[in-house]
Amino acid sequence: MGNVERCDKTLPLNEMIFHVRRDAALRERWLADFEGLAREFGLSRAEFDAVQAKDPKRLMDLGVHQYYVPQILRLFFGAAQNSNASAALECYKRAYPAETAEAMALQARLEQR
Amino acid sequence: MAEIVAAMAMTHSPGLTGWFDRASEEYQQLALNATAEMRRRLEAARPDTLVMFSNDHLLNWPINNIPEYTVGIGDEHVGPADWFDEWLGMEKYRVPGDPDLARFLVNEAARHGLSLAYLREMQFDDGISVPTHYLNPDARFRLVPVTMNCNVPPIPTPARAYAVGRVLADALRAYPAPARIAVVATGGLSHEPGGPRYFWVDEAFDRWFLDLLKAGDHERLLRECTLERMEAAGSGGTAELLSWILVLAMTQGPADVLAYMPAIAWRSGTGMVVWNELARPEGRNP
Repeated sequence: MGNVERCDKTLPLNEMIFHVRRDAALRERWLADFEGLAREFGLSRAEFDAVQAKDPKRLMDLGVHQYYVPQILRLFFGAAQNSNASAALECYKRAYPAETAEAMALQARLEQR
Repeated sequence: MAEIVAAMAMTHSPGLTGWFDRASEEYQQLALNATAEMRRRLEAARPDTLVMFSNDHLLNWPINNIPEYTVGIGDEHVGPADWFDEWLGMEKYRVPGDPDLARFLVNEAARHGLSLAYLREMQFDDGISVPTHYLNPDARFRLVPVTMNCNVPPIPTPARAYAVGRVLADALRAYPAPARIAVVATGGLSHEPGGPRYFWVDEAFDRWFLDLLKAGDHERLLRECTLERMEAAGSGGTAELLSWILVLAMTQGPADVLAYMPAIAWRSGTGMVVWNELARPEGRNP
């Protein structure tokens, strides 16, 4: 089945993002005290490192739900006027060069039609 | 007894409000015209309440406990959630709820073996906020939001969504008040939010799916549009079309496809559809 089937429903990071997104104080701590926050939610070293690396592929390989990956990037980069030009795109280009290049080429073709 | 007076569906991609002008002017015009037509038809149908079927993007329930369906039963609904207002480029909106209808729906569904979770205070992401912006901007219609799971395994099948749509249609009609109800599906078309193909859409799938709605052959749609096929056209996002299939079960005959745009800039295949006929309570189709 699809990519979403790869998520680990029991991964601490998947629980953590749910709470962080809904709580302004936790969102501040994400930037100010990620280490403390990670400890409280019981993140593994691998989860901690993948978040710091802002690497979509590593995050998904660990079992982070795919929908939460751009949300993690938004916690770092902010949300306003997000678009294909955003920092998130750069992270995906690095993590999934073939898929992202194909998508960008498709978008260029569609826009010229 | 209540009556279902209109059925329609639209994409809820965040770009439709958050970064509308990043898509071509042609797409912008198509989207504006199609949503204006949806609004015109809604107003002509004079509903009291919109029952909006969308999906929860892991916002209302933690991943350790994801219900298949959730009904918002509050007196009033306020959105977007704080985490989403900047992303969606929207001011906060307030829409009156319809708690009597919403609470009836939860209990009536239970009497028919269908478990609906409920929330008195629901948070809203693009799924409810974007269609509300376009279809109910002045909050003239009351809102009953219903979200479904379509992205945390196990994902329900199209056949299940269709069967649930049948039960909910009966439950809505059984509401013992002369309420006029419009049903609105939100989500889709092809996209893969956050997955390896995050910046991609599957135009061929989208046009094929919309053609099936235009043909109005429910049996064929359920036979051919499998969950596997939806997942192949964008994992965890294209299956938002389960809400369209749920609403399809409340209709009969061909749908009007008002617009389609393979709008990668907005983050999903983007479409707007209105059904012309509601399913008759007894004369069950197909």
